[in-house]
Amino acid sequence: MPGVSGDTSGAAGAWRALVRPVVRTLPWRAIGVAGGLGLLFAAAPRLLGEDATGRLALNALRMSALAFALGAAFLLDDPARHTTAAVPTRRAVRHTLRLAPVVPVAALGWTVALLLVPAGVRPPVGGVTLEAAAALALALAGAAFAVRRSDSTRPGQAVAGALFTTAVPASLLWPERWALFVAPDDERWAAAHDRWTVLLCAALAVWAVCGAEPVRRRIGGGLGSRS
Amino acid sequence: MTPTVSASGLSLHFGGTRALDEVSLRLSTGVTGLLGPNGAGKTTLLRVLATAVPADRGVFTVLGHDPGTSRGRQEVRRRLGYLPQAPGFHPDFTAFEFVDYVAILKELTDRTARHREVRRVLDEVGLTGVRGKRLRKLSGGMRQRTALAAALVGDPAFLVLDEPTVGLDPEQRMRFRELIAHAGEGRTVLLSTHQTEDVAMLCNRVVVMAAGTVHFDGTPAELTAQAGGRVWSSAERDPGAKAGWRTGLGTFRNVGDPPDGADLLEPTLEDGYLLTLDGIGGVGGLGRGGGFGAEAAA
Repeated sequence: MPGVSGDTSGAAGAWRALVRPVVRTLPWRAIGVAGGLGLLFAAAPRLLGEDATGRLALNALRMSALAFALGAAFLLDDPARHTTAAVPTRRAVRHTLRLAPVVPVAALGWTVALLLVPAGVRPPVGGVTLEAAAALALALAGAAFAVRRSDSTRPGQAVAGALFTTAVPASLLWPERWALFVAPDDERWAAAHDRWTVLLCAALAVWAVCGAEPVRRRIGGGLGSRS
Repeated sequence: MTPTVSASGLSLHFGGTRALDEVSLRLSTGVTGLLGPNGAGKTTLLRVLATAVPADRGVFTVLGHDPGTSRGRQEVRRRLGYLPQAPGFHPDFTAFEFVDYVAILKELTDRTARHREVRRVLDEVGLTGVRGKRLRKLSGGMRQRTALAAALVGDPAFLVLDEPTVGLDPEQRMRFRELIAHAGEGRTVLLSTHQTEDVAMLCNRVVVMAAGTVHFDGTPAELTAQAGGRVWSSAERDPGAKAGWRTGLGTFRNVGDPPDGADLLEPTLEDGYLLTLDGIGGVGGLGRGGGFGAEAAA
């Protein structure tokens, strides 16, 4: 736009200039509540003192990871979505900019959660962190999918609800052959975490695919069938 | 003259619902009004032309670019302003901050030039005095003007406005008309509305849609002329009229096929619009002796 862009460097310049306003548009209240709940779950073994067991610590951290993921489900809530529906800054860029400030916050929160669990009963950090990362990625994928498939400006509540109602029965009813929720002393621990890795990669792929706006619409469904 | 928008055979389905059906359209400089009943496909057409949603079928170009390609869509969006039907905001932003945010999204990254542009559009929509106020504290009309400022920022060549005057009081509507008329000078504006007065006062061209298709495309005078000789006055409601309602003078204004010797009246654009819709089955046409007329007379 002549006379307006000045010495603009286009998309790269927009990235830099967007950081501050985008940080202000993030749903910090939902993220804060979820983070607080996650830390509360992680603190449970310490509050129980000597009664805490390794199994309890593992479940507490899994609940903590679920709470963090529920907060992440709100990340793409954007009341101005329709007002900014036809701007040249790509949706993938906007999604990435929304995610970027939350990643270090989530990493810090998870580190605190791990440290809250007494070292004696703490499960293997790598494995449980992989589970937390996969849960977070699933929430983000769900949010991105909801944005792609619906016109909702606030899909977070529905995505968080779906994640919660799926996670609890899944932990109880998941087939033994593809076990995910196993204890560290279980011989299937390594195989289960291979599956968590696959879940993490699949969720990140869905996030990436849904972040791209389709230029053509495919009739009959699929990821590309709405906006 | 090269048209700003040239669309051919645009179609869009949502599940089993046909929202757009083979719509073809050419838009040039000036204000074009888009009229139609609820569910006619006006908003869907605007969203497609604004590149907010892709079409299933059909081809179109905007400002010489093909939005069916990623690069083409980017180019279109760089020169497009879009005011959606229900614009949303970040309520903790001030009017200035919100328009500035949209300006950054429109890739206006030079801070000084951008702020100058944001001040210009806020001044254009009459919000200079409240630009530092948080959006949650502004009235509905002021928020609507903020959304218009966001659409206008960057001086777009093609402006898409979806029912911008809905919910505004008469004074605010008049102010909006001034803004839209001003915006239409030298650029292409597509304005969706239910208000036939908006079209009569603002538009040099009008398109009537129903059931996802275009049923009329011409000037407001041509649409008004559709009702020429088909509007008459009577002391009682004429049962042969397609629609009729009591006016403030106590007489009935009837629309339809007049009886011999009827006291014919000057038609309005609304009469032409109603009679255009009446020829279309199943989309809320007037219906002889009832429907719209019966409700209006009751």
